[in-house]
Amino acid sequence: MLRALREIEGGLRLSLNVAGRMGTLRRAPVLESFLRQVYFTGVTAATDVVLRASALGVLIIAITMDVLDADATLAVKILLLVVFREIGPLAAAVVVILRTGSAIAAEVAVMRVSGQTRALRYLNINLYDYLVVPRVAGVMVATAALTFYIQALAVFGGLALSPFIIDASFTELAGRFFELFTPVDFFYSTVKSLLFGFSIAACCCYHGLNPPEFTQNAVPKVVTRAVTQSAMLVLTINAVFAYIVFGILFFGLVTAKV
Amino acid sequence: MSELALRFSKQFSGRAIAVEAPRGGVSRLFLPSDQSRAALVAAVLKAKCEPGEELELLGEPVNALKPKAREKMRRRVAGVSAAVGLMTNLNAWENITLAAAYHGTPPLERVAEITQDVLRAFGLEPMSFLARLPEDLDALERKIAAFARLLIAAPELALIDGLHEGLNRNERTQVARFETEFRARQPDSTLIFVETREEEDG
Repeated sequence: MLRALREIEGGLRLSLNVAGRMGTLRRAPVLESFLRQVYFTGVTAATDVVLRASALGVLIIAITMDVLDADATLAVKILLLVVFREIGPLAAAVVVILRTGSAIAAEVAVMRVSGQTRALRYLNINLYDYLVVPRVAGVMVATAALTFYIQALAVFGGLALSPFIIDASFTELAGRFFELFTPVDFFYSTVKSLLFGFSIAACCCYHGLNPPEFTQNAVPKVVTRAVTQSAMLVLTINAVFAYIVFGILFFGLVTAKV
Repeated sequence: MSELALRFSKQFSGRAIAVEAPRGGVSRLFLPSDQSRAALVAAVLKAKCEPGEELELLGEPVNALKPKAREKMRRRVAGVSAAVGLMTNLNAWENITLAAAYHGTPPLERVAEITQDVLRAFGLEPMSFLARLPEDLDALERKIAAFARLLIAAPELALIDGLHEGLNRNERTQVARFETEFRARQPDSTLIFVETREEEDG
């Protein structure tokens, strides 16, 4: 309990510190580290998810049409609500936690355990500036970009491949999609994915900088804790957003008074 | 103003250790154990004392320093030590320029000039050397990279800790030139070599 409270307090302090130090991205090594992070999180992850994201859209449309016996409008509506608003950002967050979150936690923990963070302090380099700010900012940008990429692929894949499975043409489905699409959908998922990126990177940096012990054995423990807590944070943020936007939580058990 | 660049004392394993070094020269400090040496190096580079320690740097007792003054003091001090190792995910050039690029001083052209001079003085080919990661550098090359970083920082007080550690006889003669290289560039600064010299019983 005490450790959990300490972690929440430490995580909040780290988050506030990072938010207040974003200006240090102008410094050359911090900017370079930020760009590396964007490349690692956004660009290298993008190739992995292409087919899976396209398949996701097809599956959603096919299942909706088949199970719910829905028409093209309902199928596209569900594609928009489920894929665009919910699964897109969540899928991107899962990719980021597994690929980047674990890497950040391990890298920072190794630096901490091997004394490299101490060396940075001796060089008068602020750890937040050099280690945390570029990672958090980089992961935020990359998560938002990855989310948009997955959404685009899933929606396009769903619209393009569904005519082979269900009785609806691509133009019909696309027409319905653009009728129902509003900028709020895009804004909602962008804000959510930026928050996902922030919480994942901040959580992983926090655990990397605070290993339970200063030996190599601490690294796997740090990674496990960082990945688990990042996933919990993402699910919590997602639930809060769902509550704010749709007014319900836990399958309708908690309902907002509108 | 005190004529001392460094004065350090500490109770260590029941005995008092006290060392001092004058300003502006080259001094060699011998500590009785690796732990006491590590304590001295950490205190100097942090410009901060642990309980039971007393440290005066460049004429100022560090215990009395406020956080901003401590930060300023730390910028006047730099070291070559295992405690200030190279970042494993950066190549030699990135490691050498890291602090200068972060603080924005000195300019990159000056950094490149100093680095080239140092590497040439030690017979290293810059292009191949600078692209390598620390894991691909041997002990001497890592010390030279750290020494180049020290010269770029141009501190008022430079600390070289365990100069000969991990080096063979031939390499030791090469690092002995650190002193002349440093004096040539920083004639007014203080250079302190810190070594362990275990005292014999009796």
